[in-house]
Parts: sequence; structure tokens; C-alpha cells
Amino acid sequence: MTKGKQQTTNDKKQQRAIMLTPKELERYSRQIQLPDLGEKGQKALKNTTALVSGVGGLGGTTALYLAVAGIGKLILVRGGGLRLDDMNRQILMSDDWVGKTRVTKAQETLNQINPDVEVEAIAEYITPENVDALVQRSDIALSCAHNFPERDLLNAACVRWQKPMVEAAMNSMEAYLTTIVPHQTPCLSCLFPEKPNWDRRAFGVLGAVSGTLACLSALEAIKLITGLGKPLLGQLLNMDLANVEFHKLHLYKDPDCPVCGKEAEGAEGTLNHGKGERPFAPTTTNH
Amino acid sequence: MAVKVLIPTPLQKFTNNQATIECNGGNIDELIDSLEINCPGIKSRICDDTGKPRRFLNLYVNSEDIRFLDNTDTALSDGDEVSIVPAVAGG
Repeated sequence: MTKGKQQTTNDKKQQRAIMLTPKELERYSRQIQLPDLGEKGQKALKNTTALVSGVGGLGGTTALYLAVAGIGKLILVRGGGLRLDDMNRQILMSDDWVGKTRVTKAQETLNQINPDVEVEAIAEYITPENVDALVQRSDIALSCAHNFPERDLLNAACVRWQKPMVEAAMNSMEAYLTTIVPHQTPCLSCLFPEKPNWDRRAFGVLGAVSGTLACLSALEAIKLITGLGKPLLGQLLNMDLANVEFHKLHLYKDPDCPVCGKEAEGAEGTLNHGKGERPFAPTTTNH
Repeated sequence: MAVKVLIPTPLQKFTNNQATIECNGGNIDELIDSLEINCPGIKSRICDDTGKPRRFLNLYVNSEDIRFLDNTDTALSDGDEVSIVPAVAGG
């Protein structure tokens, strides 16, 4: 086969891979009705692999809304088992699963809700050893872990590999959210150069609070993928849900940021190639 | 200058569980001193030993980060709103 014919065949395969089936057209018809989403946005969702770090009240619910929206593939990353005191907010879990591997149950539930979505379950935490490979095979990351080290590792890897990341975090009745596009917006390290001591069980949490943040987090990803609306680029949505106070705060790139600043950019060298104009460009096609 | 300060949950133990308090100050330095008078102990949570805001929390005047204004010299006007936003990691 000539190189030209091979290319054409590959293009056709790629087009087939992102065609919507009659079932999908019906399943997603209510969101395809949204003028800024349409079939084009739905295909973009199908063509996207999303990495979700943390599968708790926040990450699990974020994954759920990405799955029902028709994301192509989810990679769920979360070590550890399910505890009874997780059950006030972790809506992918069931009572009989307490003590078992949490991420496996999330995969099972998501498969039942939307079998058209591929769900990969990785019962590990984000580590320096696994983060680059996970980010490289994803198009977008959702930062929902319950600790700063995993969040910082994911942020740095997303900057290295030029992958957008939705940063969502909460504490008690408060939460914040921003969408990071490497080298276009500030990164997590620009926002908070250092992190405080953190005890993940030292605060109360309501499922409706983590769920609210999760819905907004999934929505940010959907907006970035489909072009719908206006994502929170360079802005932090700060929320006090006890008093229903929402504020959008302006964020700025820190030129001295050790992750995405000038010196880091120089040191990263070849990894920081291809700074595209589009904030989002899926790299995978086979779902 | 009367300024409304939005207090995050971890600092509300110093404000009698109030999420907002009114303070005075012509700039951020003065505001933090005023906060300390009204809510003893809060300053050491906001600032390090040198008196600078800790690097795991940000102060915003209205919607602007003081790190990109004049830091703690950032001037305040009557009716301004100052948000204290610490890094959090709950998921």
C-alpha cells in the first residue's frame, strides 16, 4: 500500500472511530440539542480520554457525569478500599462493597449506567512513577485527590505533557475550581507555591457539597472538550456553599513558578513542544 | 477604611465561627493588624515570622491577587472586599 493510501485508510478509520451510533444519537439527543454542543461536541466527547485522580465524593461523581455525558474513556486512579464513612457522598458505591477496592466498584457502576463508555480502573495512587504514563495517554485530567502530593504531581505532569487539568478541591462547606491549560493559564503551583499540612479527615463533608463541586468540575471538562460556553481559564471560582457565596477571582501566571515558569520551561526543553492555539485537542481516537 | 473580610473555614475558629467580618485598614498590612486586634491569634495563621502572607494562602482585594498588586502594601478603599483563600485538597 502506498503511503497516501495508508494515510487515507487511517483517516477513514479515525472518522469511523468517532462516528456516533444510532443508539448514541438517541441517548445523547437532549444534550446534542444544545447549539454549542451539537453532534460535533458529542463526537469530541466520544473521542476523549479523561483521567480522574481520586474516586471519592468528588472524583467519583465527576466521573459519573462525564460517563453519562458520553466521554469516550475514563481512567480512574485511586488506591485503597471503601469505608463505611465514605458512604454519605460516594454515590458510585454500594453498602455491600465496604472494605473492598473502591475503584473497581466505580468501574462496575459506571459500566452499568453507560456501557458505551470504556472505564479503566487503576487501584493505585498517583505517584512519581506512574503519573507521566497516565497523563500521556489521557487528553484531560481531573484533579480530585484527597491530598496535595497527588495534586502537585498531576499538575506538574499535565504541564510537562501539555494536557489540560481541572483543579477542584473542597474543605467543609467551601470549595474552589479552576481550569488549567498549560502555558496559557496559571498552573496549580502558580496559584499556591506551597501547601499547608493537610489532614484529609479533619473536616466535615456533605455529599451535596462534594457533588456540587463534582458537577461543576465535570462541566468544566465538557466545556473544554466541546467548546461549549466559557471555561474558568485564569479564574478561580471560590464557593462558600453554607452561605451560597460565589466569587470569581483572577489568577495570574507566576513567571518564577518552578513548574511552568520561565526557568522550568527552559529546563523542560523538548517536552514543552507544540503550544497550540486551541486549549484542547484530543490525541486519541480509538474508543 | 471599612473593609469586609471573607474568612475561610480553617480560620473561623478565630472569628467566633463568622464567615465574614468587618475590619479597618488603609492597606493589607493594616487590615491584618486590625484583624489580629479583633481576632487574636489569626495573624500568625495568615503570616509567617517575617510578617508576609504564607505561600499556601492568597489574599484577594475584590477579585485581584495582592501578589500581583502591591502585596501587603496594596491600598484598600471603603467597601472593598478581601478574600482569604487557602490551598485545600478535600476530594
